[in-house]
Amino acid sequence: MTDLSVSTSTPSHVAHAPLPEAPPKVTARNLNFYYGEHHALKNINLTLGTNRVTAFIGPSGCGKSTLLRIFNRMYDLYPGQRAVGQLMLDQTNILDPKLDLNLLRARVGMVFQKPTPFPMTIYENIAFGIRLYEKISKSEMDDRVEKALRGGALWNEVKDKLNASGLSLSGGQQQRLCIARTVAVRPEVILFDEPCSALDPISTAKVEELIQELSEDYTIAIVTHNMQQAARVSDKTAFMYLGELIEFDDTNKIFTSPGDRRTQDYITGRFG
Amino acid sequence: MADMAVQSDVMEAAGPYDRAKALSAFKLGDATFYWITRISAISVLLILGGIILSLIVGAWPAMKEYGFAFLWTQRWAPSADPPVLGALGPVYGTLITSFIAMLIAIPVGIGIAVFLTELCPQWLRRPIGIAVELLAGIPSIIYGMWGFFVLGPFLANTFQPLMIKIFDGVPLLGAVFAGPPSYLSLFNAALILAIMVLPFITAISVDVFKTVPPVLKEAAYGMGCTTWEVVRSVVIPYTRVGVIGGIMLALGRALGETMAVTFIIGNSFRISSSIFAPGTTISAAIASEFAESDGLHQSGLILLGLLLFVLTFFVLAAARLMLLRLEKKAGK
Repeated sequence: MTDLSVSTSTPSHVAHAPLPEAPPKVTARNLNFYYGEHHALKNINLTLGTNRVTAFIGPSGCGKSTLLRIFNRMYDLYPGQRAVGQLMLDQTNILDPKLDLNLLRARVGMVFQKPTPFPMTIYENIAFGIRLYEKISKSEMDDRVEKALRGGALWNEVKDKLNASGLSLSGGQQQRLCIARTVAVRPEVILFDEPCSALDPISTAKVEELIQELSEDYTIAIVTHNMQQAARVSDKTAFMYLGELIEFDDTNKIFTSPGDRRTQDYITGRFG
Repeated sequence: MADMAVQSDVMEAAGPYDRAKALSAFKLGDATFYWITRISAISVLLILGGIILSLIVGAWPAMKEYGFAFLWTQRWAPSADPPVLGALGPVYGTLITSFIAMLIAIPVGIGIAVFLTELCPQWLRRPIGIAVELLAGIPSIIYGMWGFFVLGPFLANTFQPLMIKIFDGVPLLGAVFAGPPSYLSLFNAALILAIMVLPFITAISVDVFKTVPPVLKEAAYGMGCTTWEVVRSVVIPYTRVGVIGGIMLALGRALGETMAVTFIIGNSFRISSSIFAPGTTISAAIASEFAESDGLHQSGLILLGLLLFVLTFFVLAAARLMLLRLEKKAGK
């Protein structure tokens, strides 16, 4: 089993003793999700620990992205999709129909599979999100943009072309721009939906490193098809299959001595 | 065995030959295709050049007679001796009606498009979409009649007196909305034009709004944007080239629209500061006078037509320029 704890550019604190239990940030109890009639998620119970990285793995269609999209109520954009059960962000009920979605999404940021820079300059891509919530002066804004871009490990590459279009960056840079943009709003939770699947290995390594750094300040959930990635970046791993949460435990444990037969089959590549 | 050998010999001999023949047939087809497309493309230039040339030839006597003064002369007296002709009235009317029409049609047209693509419940989408398409299909003469018999009286009896009362005594705006109310006015024509060009703006905006990747919108919603912020900061910037294209198409139609405008604009060459006063546009002037014109009068009308041509050209050029500047601002 140890062959799974990967050799390539392993960040320092992996293959480590599990971190102590963190206070819960997001808690799901008996969470169910429906696409119209289709029952896509069945009785999910789990907790995202504060300032921990939780990875979601599983074969395509198992519902991991669906679960992620409940955390910021993204499914609300589409009619016919609904979630039932309980999902708490601290003391806030995420599923409350009266909840202010804009406020929720300011607290729960999301980074997508494909880089999604907005059609504006690099500077504006960052400033845009900040301006939604704060009225600050130009010089303060400059500081915040720089800080966010540094947070996204992008500052050194773009500081001389802040007025270039966000679309002019490479794919990996665009993705880090999107992460910086998300961080700029100062969320509490950041959701990553396969953030590296469109990136080359070097960009992937940079983004993974970034995720590690971000976990000091943010609670992170990441969906990934890349099991090495899950092993490298996460503290806890959830294995999902056919809409059910099969196993949820310390990453170390999941990848070395999984408790469920299906988990073992999946991480050893026997199916999925 | 022997038979087989012979056969394969023949095949070998025939193979390359046939292939070359087939290829040469393709080549001929390719060349034909190339020339057909090329001639089609060139014919556009020829037709355009021919039209400009014949306009210039037709307008020459008037150009020689009036020179550049034609542009800033307001008086239009074709039956005077010698006739006095000036384009200021029609040019002013054309610009002002198109401007007001776009002022109304752009926000409403884009608003409909946003509603249809972002907010509209599924069941309402088709009826509204079809209604907009039908609006585009109504012949302009019908708009003219409707404007004459329905919209004109309504505006003259209800809307115009109200506006005149509200803005009475206000500097500048008081002059723009001055009385007396009239069935036939620049404003009525502009309103009809707005309704006529609305479908262009809406249809094209809807089409380009649909090309915005859902994940880009999700990203904006994911930052906590409201629908308004998503539309303003993501959807419209992403599609600005297409939207501006639609607006230009609409503006082109508004500048040149003839029939409906001729019905309701009043055909007065006098320029008034009030938009409730009758006026005329270039195309309306030509349409209403061309049949009974001759000599210098006719040449003057052709010169008006040439002017409309130039005007449209400049408007389109300005649009291009605006697009370039927008792109620079977005950092391309």
